[in-house]
Amino acid sequence: MFDAFIQGLMINLQFKPFIFMLIGSAIGFWVGILPGLGGGATLALMMSFIYTMTPQEAMPFLLGMYSVVATTGDITSVLFGIPGEATTTATIVDGYPMAKKGEAGRALGAVLMSSLIGAIFGAALLALSIPIVRPLVLAFGSPEMFMLTLLGLTCISTLSGRGKRGLLQGLLGGGFGFICSMIGQDSQAGVLRFTFGQLYLWGGLSTIPVMVGLFAIPEIVNLAVSGTAIAGDVPLGKLGKGVRQGIKDTFQNFWLVVRCSLIGSFFGILPGVGGGVSQWVAYAHATQSAKTDEERAGFGKGDVRGVLGPGASNNSKEGGALIPTIAFGVPGGPGMAILLGAFFVMGLVPGPEMLTKHLALTYSMVWTIVIANIIAVTVCLLFIDRIAKLTTIRGNLMIPFLLFLCFIGAFSSNNHYGDLIVLMVFGVIGCILMRYDWPRPPFILGFVLGRFAEINLFAATLRYKAHWLYRPKVMIILLITVAFALAPYILKKRRLSNEE
Amino acid sequence: MELKRYRLLLWISFLSLSMLWVAPELQAAPYYQGKRITFVVGFAPGGGYDRMTRMIAKYLPKHIPGKPTIIIENMPGGSSMIAANYVYSVAKPDGLTIGNINRGLQIAQVMKISEMKFDLRKFAWIGSTASDANAFCIRADLPYKTFGDLRNAKREIFMSSGGPMTSGAQFTTLIKEYTKLNIQLITYTNMADALLAVERKEVDGNGSTYSSLAPLIQRGVLRPLLRGRAFEPEIKHLPVDEDMTTDPVGKKVMAMRSATDVVGRPYVAPPGTSPEALSILRKAFAQVAKDPQLQAEAKKNLMPVEYLSAEECLKSVNYLLGQPEDIVREFKKYITF
Repeated sequence: MFDAFIQGLMINLQFKPFIFMLIGSAIGFWVGILPGLGGGATLALMMSFIYTMTPQEAMPFLLGMYSVVATTGDITSVLFGIPGEATTTATIVDGYPMAKKGEAGRALGAVLMSSLIGAIFGAALLALSIPIVRPLVLAFGSPEMFMLTLLGLTCISTLSGRGKRGLLQGLLGGGFGFICSMIGQDSQAGVLRFTFGQLYLWGGLSTIPVMVGLFAIPEIVNLAVSGTAIAGDVPLGKLGKGVRQGIKDTFQNFWLVVRCSLIGSFFGILPGVGGGVSQWVAYAHATQSAKTDEERAGFGKGDVRGVLGPGASNNSKEGGALIPTIAFGVPGGPGMAILLGAFFVMGLVPGPEMLTKHLALTYSMVWTIVIANIIAVTVCLLFIDRIAKLTTIRGNLMIPFLLFLCFIGAFSSNNHYGDLIVLMVFGVIGCILMRYDWPRPPFILGFVLGRFAEINLFAATLRYKAHWLYRPKVMIILLITVAFALAPYILKKRRLSNEE
Repeated sequence: MELKRYRLLLWISFLSLSMLWVAPELQAAPYYQGKRITFVVGFAPGGGYDRMTRMIAKYLPKHIPGKPTIIIENMPGGSSMIAANYVYSVAKPDGLTIGNINRGLQIAQVMKISEMKFDLRKFAWIGSTASDANAFCIRADLPYKTFGDLRNAKREIFMSSGGPMTSGAQFTTLIKEYTKLNIQLITYTNMADALLAVERKEVDGNGSTYSSLAPLIQRGVLRPLLRGRAFEPEIKHLPVDEDMTTDPVGKKVMAMRSATDVVGRPYVAPPGTSPEALSILRKAFAQVAKDPQLQAEAKKNLMPVEYLSAEECLKSVNYLLGQPEDIVREFKKYITF
């Protein structure tokens, strides 16, 4: 196994694979930064170029692009409050407020370094888990997946606002997100729900227009109303110093970064769940690291830990998502489905062969994730000063560009005008939520998890009737869920009694 | 003078004759020369329909005189109904737009779905590049070796599917209803999750397209027991679902469903497309399907390519749409879109 591990590195360091990896990383850099141009769609376009390549060249080319997308997607989230990818939305919650406070450099330094650590962690997990990967993925059936969805939903309480009505607002937001996830054809009988006779809604609401509308449009409106630059009138200070501070923050909160990487990898392994959920669970966990109520109140207003958590989990999930893809041919996420197609083009059959006969190639994928991210983060850090200065440009010059990014990003989901309508509707909803200080993350969590919860609950009940409730793993996950939900209150009570 | 006139006559005759002979390329070139063909794919990038179309688009230009440029436009939504509506009503019938639509739209037309703004019979059909055989498979570790063994099973047989309207779900539902097998169909998010459920032994099997199940069959995880009318060589020997029921209505309904498998990857042009353009496109598709480079790539992709002519496609569509009302009513009881 160690031989294959080293062989994998040697494959990537050969001239052609290395060059292709660089090209892929360069493409991924721009794809991540441009909202809406998803890594999955780009993978599909890049497939045309791999037919004349060997597997040793094609995999670094494709994975080099895909593994960098989440890293650079965080840049747009921090600087403009527009998610570069659907999986980088949670970074906006604290990253954009940091940019508004003139701490764009610090936020970028933190998110890039945590992304790099997350990527290395995810790759390491993939490398180490190869001997146990098949039983690991097979261990989670529909009942367990449903319970994990519940675990994700308990994050609503952590993501909710503070104050007397904070939890109620969070639950209402999550419930509304749940309802929005029901739009479209139901998974069991194909019944159309809330489609209002519109073909566009048959497949449900697309994630990108919803997220971009909910998070980016209110910020653009805010920018227009304030009339200032993104960083406001706050002096930007020495950006280089901010970046160094951000990198320092990453290592000062190292164990938080590692835990969030673990969360990302874990959710990455679960097929279908992916980055849409892991970023929010990681963010919720990051908020739990607050020791006092005042500290907790700082989340959502520019706490660097709110950037570290999602940054780490977004990248670690890629290594995790490769696990079911390679071991079973079951995509760990939407991009992995396309990568699977690439496997077949290369004559590779996902399954036991990838863990035995082609083990060196599997390890070369691990190394690609690591090396591509190191290169991408290094390049970003070199130009970060210039990138962060974008937040000082006058708002009325940036707004047309930002709106353009939002509309192009939303439209690229389905190439349908319905995407633009969804964007604007959720833009209005986002503005209202922001105006009345209602939290927006609970809605996204309910929206992302709703359909997944429904399908798994149906599957579990049809298959096991009520007996699925007594399965040992279900009980364990339930206990973890209860602990996760009650932890903030117990810790708070303990703090208060200590203070007394 | 006489000689001069004779030479002049000879030259004029020679030039006239040479103008009558036109290079083959030039005969067809005026239509597609310098033009761009747009494939409108009714699904998102990366899926089976999209990958097939991109593969065909790569080799098609060399089979069309004039070698036009080809671009792919993805127009997902409504199970490709949005794309079909667009090709039918909006796209110009100038031979420059080709729709790649869901074969399941045949069922949508049988069901008279209100959002459907087209009649499949009125499209200018180019053909289909694959048939999509369905296979009913059971886990190889279970003691059921034949379909007869399943009939004698003393417990529910759990089958997974990748969605309620997939051909696999329809195929399995009809087998359940008309062969009276004790099947419980469990729907997952997508086909990949449905197959993972097989691997982790949460379900007993899966009935779906052979191309999706082939990797698990080859690895010995699944054992195919039954097939639909359309078949791949590897499952030709299996009994057909229609033969497993004695109900004449059931046979008809199953045959109707199987008709959609035959036209596995439909390609259509807008109604009113000129016969010349249509002829060029049909010929090009027939030739590209035999292209050795395309065949090699299709083999690599595990996506067999076989051209079915426009006439054959329309025959299948007309068969489906020409069924009597009572059969359609029975069909609608079990099949959704």
